[in-house]
Amino acid sequence: MKLCIETAEYCDREELRTLLIDAADQLLGSGSTLLEAKLPWDGHPVLFADADGHPVLISFDPEQGQSALLNGLQTSEQLSNALPWVNQVYDALGNRQLSVRLIVVSRCYPPGSHTILTGCQQLTLYRYRTLSINGETGLWLERLDASAEDISATGDISPAGVVEGPQDRVTPVPTQINAGNDLPALSEEESAFFQQL
Amino acid sequence: MASQLSPVWQRKSTSSDRLARISARFLSDAPETTGSEDSCQTIPFLLDNPGQSWITHDLCQVLNQRGYKSVLCHLDEPLNGDPRHLSGEPGERARGNRYCLVPVTSVETVKAARFDHVVLLVPANLDAVLTAYRRIKLLTEDHHTEIGIVIVGPRDQHAAWRYFRKLAVGSLRYLDVPLLNLGFLPEQVTPQHGPVNHHRKNFLARISERLVRSGFYLSAANRSATTG
Repeated sequence: MKLCIETAEYCDREELRTLLIDAADQLLGSGSTLLEAKLPWDGHPVLFADADGHPVLISFDPEQGQSALLNGLQTSEQLSNALPWVNQVYDALGNRQLSVRLIVVSRCYPPGSHTILTGCQQLTLYRYRTLSINGETGLWLERLDASAEDISATGDISPAGVVEGPQDRVTPVPTQINAGNDLPALSEEESAFFQQL
Repeated sequence: MASQLSPVWQRKSTSSDRLARISARFLSDAPETTGSEDSCQTIPFLLDNPGQSWITHDLCQVLNQRGYKSVLCHLDEPLNGDPRHLSGEPGERARGNRYCLVPVTSVETVKAARFDHVVLLVPANLDAVLTAYRRIKLLTEDHHTEIGIVIVGPRDQHAAWRYFRKLAVGSLRYLDVPLLNLGFLPEQVTPQHGPVNHHRKNFLARISERLVRSGFYLSAANRSATTG
């Protein structure tokens, strides 16, 4: 079989939404469930439940990584505040009250991506390209690795390879929060306990 | 009493001493003020930020209006040098008063003054709750400190309870420190309201009543004397 791969025209927001929902297994791993295809908040993000029962918010923007991130953070905060209610509404969450994961997808990573990733363990950043493969439109996704070298937020991107199979899951990195001047650090268990009300 | 407590409050073994310590803090119990009414009791308030100083100021006024003669004292911060006991008699200025309210802004001051009790004013948001928890952790790492909590700026009573519960459960679970709920000041109560504002006065009166009735301000020595 001959593969004909070329870059596709930019897709609009709704087209990207459809492609992202189709790519749920790549973004979230297998076993995810679509809860809301279009949430009624800024940017109209998509809400999934992953296999573990975490609510996962996919905030996206075809062009503006910054607005995708801000919309995602706002919605994520609203969901976190309403977590008991959200868990009651969606059975797929198993009423486990797990914290919200946020996935941001845009053509370019938002500015300050590495700093943001370091501070937000529940955040994953992707940039995308739309590809035409044998006439079918597909999505190429590249996840930002926090340990990789900084990448210009506005620089153009060139695909380094097509993503195949499930992406790595977000694994919380053990951290010792010490934001105050001389206040004691918190254990991982304490940090997790105070992540949400 | 133990059977009424939710399991989250009983993470560690429920020794009789521990239960006694917790149950002694219920407001329905008789106030433990006998024997200490002649002396002036110092009540330090650890502010989240200096902008909260109006709360201690107004609380002092309300205590006076309710017949508890009180005075507001300020410490020079930071309180460095040798630690000194300020928990007992607060000095000449407070003589003749029943309570001396001391607003401070740093944990170091509370520790340096060796206060064995303190009221934390905690803004109603998760970051402030986390900061308060870390302050409690720092305060109680060396010696036992009685801690009362006032939640500042919640939307309503339910929100206030949620923030207090988060802090109280965390403190009890990880630090084995029980907290005393002294009430809340809702977001509608702001420093812009005049001190005679009825709404503001009501909430401050409730806090002052809880503060007085709980016997929270008594030093550990006085408390054991009154219960012994």
